[in-house]
Amino acid sequence: MAEDNREPPAGAGTLREALRALLPHRKEELVPELGEKVERSVVQLLWEAAELFCGGRRSECLQASEAILDYSWEKLNTGPWQDVHKDWRRVYAFGCLLKAVCLFEEPGDSAAVAAALKACDMGLLMGAAIHGDILIKVAAVLQAHLPSAKRPGPGLAEEQPSMKKARDDCVSVPDVASERLVPRLRCPSLQHFRKQFLVPGRPVILEGVADQWPCMTKWSLEYIQDIAGCRTVPVEVGSRYTDEDWSQTLMTVDEFISRYVRSESKDVGYLAQHQLFDQIPELKRDISIPDYCCLGDGEEEEITINAWFGPQGTVSPLHQDPQQNFLVQVIGRKYIRLYSPQESEALYPHETHLLHNTSQRIGRQ
Amino acid sequence: MAEERRGSWFGFGFCGFGQALGSGRGRQVHSPEPLRTPGAGADVRRVSASWSYTAVVTRGGQVQLSGAADGAAGGCRDAWASEALLVVLRAGRGLGPGPELQAWAPGSALRGEPLWTHTLVPEAEGADGAGGEAQAGALPLLPGARAYVSPRPPFYRPLAPELRARRLELGAEHALLLDEAGQVFSWGQGRHGQLGHGTLEAEPEPRLLEALQGLPMAEVAAGGWHSVCVSETGDIYIWGWNESGQLALPTRSLSEDGKTVAREGEASGLNEGGPEVRRTAGGEEGAPAPFIALQPFPALLDLPGGADAVKASCGSRHTAVVTRTGELYTWGWGKYGQLGHKGTTSLDRPRRVEYFVDKQLQVRAVSCGLWNTYVCAVERGES
Repeated sequence: MAEDNREPPAGAGTLREALRALLPHRKEELVPELGEKVERSVVQLLWEAAELFCGGRRSECLQASEAILDYSWEKLNTGPWQDVHKDWRRVYAFGCLLKAVCLFEEPGDSAAVAAALKACDMGLLMGAAIHGDILIKVAAVLQAHLPSAKRPGPGLAEEQPSMKKARDDCVSVPDVASERLVPRLRCPSLQHFRKQFLVPGRPVILEGVADQWPCMTKWSLEYIQDIAGCRTVPVEVGSRYTDEDWSQTLMTVDEFISRYVRSESKDVGYLAQHQLFDQIPELKRDISIPDYCCLGDGEEEEITINAWFGPQGTVSPLHQDPQQNFLVQVIGRKYIRLYSPQESEALYPHETHLLHNTSQRIGRQ
Repeated sequence: MAEERRGSWFGFGFCGFGQALGSGRGRQVHSPEPLRTPGAGADVRRVSASWSYTAVVTRGGQVQLSGAADGAAGGCRDAWASEALLVVLRAGRGLGPGPELQAWAPGSALRGEPLWTHTLVPEAEGADGAGGEAQAGALPLLPGARAYVSPRPPFYRPLAPELRARRLELGAEHALLLDEAGQVFSWGQGRHGQLGHGTLEAEPEPRLLEALQGLPMAEVAAGGWHSVCVSETGDIYIWGWNESGQLALPTRSLSEDGKTVAREGEASGLNEGGPEVRRTAGGEEGAPAPFIALQPFPALLDLPGGADAVKASCGSRHTAVVTRTGELYTWGWGKYGQLGHKGTTSLDRPRRVEYFVDKQLQVRAVSCGLWNTYVCAVERGES
């Protein structure tokens, strides 16, 4: 990238054009369709921001988009998340979109591009899709123009193999011989799976199903950093979510890996239960949806895919999932203990609403 | 019910819709500026600010709007501004001697017909010894304290008569009530600790703040997700969400970002499966302070120099307090200049607004909009 700050870097012009090509040109097309829940004053501000954008008044548009973001953020934090009206999430996404595109327009520097990418990620994490997933497209364009100097240097990676090996040697492995193992089957037929396991509600390990998925050969820390290092993701910090000092925070994948995966952190950091593949479609190409999923109740669109990514030592306390699901272990290993629903009474669910699907028993999972 | 003393009004913070806030130039005012209201500026009895507009009520009974909503009307004793509704208490419009509660769409400019009205029974006023005059300025609590107004339906909400409400404040998802005996009640959503009962559970009905029992309170104030009350002896108790330092407790977002404002990212709702519990307060004096995201039960807050507080008001994520000696302290979210310290830095500890000290003004009252702050002050030397 060009060092001279008096001229925009060589790539800046093409980036600007690439972004402009993604957005609707007329303000009527730019402002998303919204219902009555969104107050008149907000709609007025959205139109004003769109007009500023179309008129090329970037810094004023940025100011307006900040106000849009801040106001809709307050709505997103009012009441239970599942009750937040989708229109507010659309407004938030729109604010993120304008911010991302206007931030970048300042004379190019990589900090601005990183900030713009972060704005896209905030819109993807908390907003709702507008203009046909435009934030994904904007994020892809920004990411392509992010200089690779932003990433942690290769020097760090070289030290890792010996460090990780040392840690692996001391890990304690639960003695499973004394426990009842979950049965393993190799690629059973759909009917067999349904009859023997899905309908009676019995757990099973299916082998061979994911063997050909690209993730099995492609995924490594380096690969993930390459594809998604600069993307912002939610991370849980603390041993387990039932602990008092557990918290959720946001950071880039690079930060997460360097702080919680590669190095010996005193805290455990866990990228847990996050729809990473909706946010970063490039990673979604490396996985598939097992055919067995079509046997479930509900529509195909209702299938959600979550990612869990973390160092050793992450713990998910005993809990019950609201949906039937498959867990695919790509890298590393996990110890899982399952209890039958018939044992529910012995499992002492927490009284509070937030933890009602979590057991108070301190079983390490 | 404290009256607004005669004085001059000042404003600072967000004015992106052109609402009355000093010069009215630009979208933000970072240091207090005198309010320019048409008519007698010194005659302002109450200021009620919503996000996109501000309502000013004068002693002459005029309500004046500025910002995304404008217009004016007479015969008005009290007004309360929210984005969804402008609520006005007007002297009876001929249907009877009782005042009429009117709810207007803010965009109507107070012309045409209100969205709905409710005639208040005259006997309800003064039943508890408080005159109708003193009750005005209490919206969203209605005169007679039998009910309050909500910006969300149902708009008219009765209160149990045994509550004997003196003052009522609404946050984004909770309500605070101060009764005649100085007891505080709270209800609504509790996920940010704003109810003060020590849990994150919601309360459907007003529940007494047991932690404050026996400590008579003089004032309550509700922010978006936090609560403040001031005792008769001048102590401040504060609880709820501290994501921008609005509780004057150390917050992670400010320490990590240095001078910049709190990250947008600290919002909840990201993890549908797991809970949204954050670290709660240690609550011990003298222990090294950990970062505090939520404070689910009241914490005592000391102002610098041990000053006594007399008034408090909260914006969505900031807090403002007036002291007995006429100083104004603000803290919390500062991105739009709503703290009045000439910048946009957020603060997690109280700081005095020097403007009023420099101008030899004694602050008498404060009223916060979501992202701005209005202050009433008099020249020092006047009583």
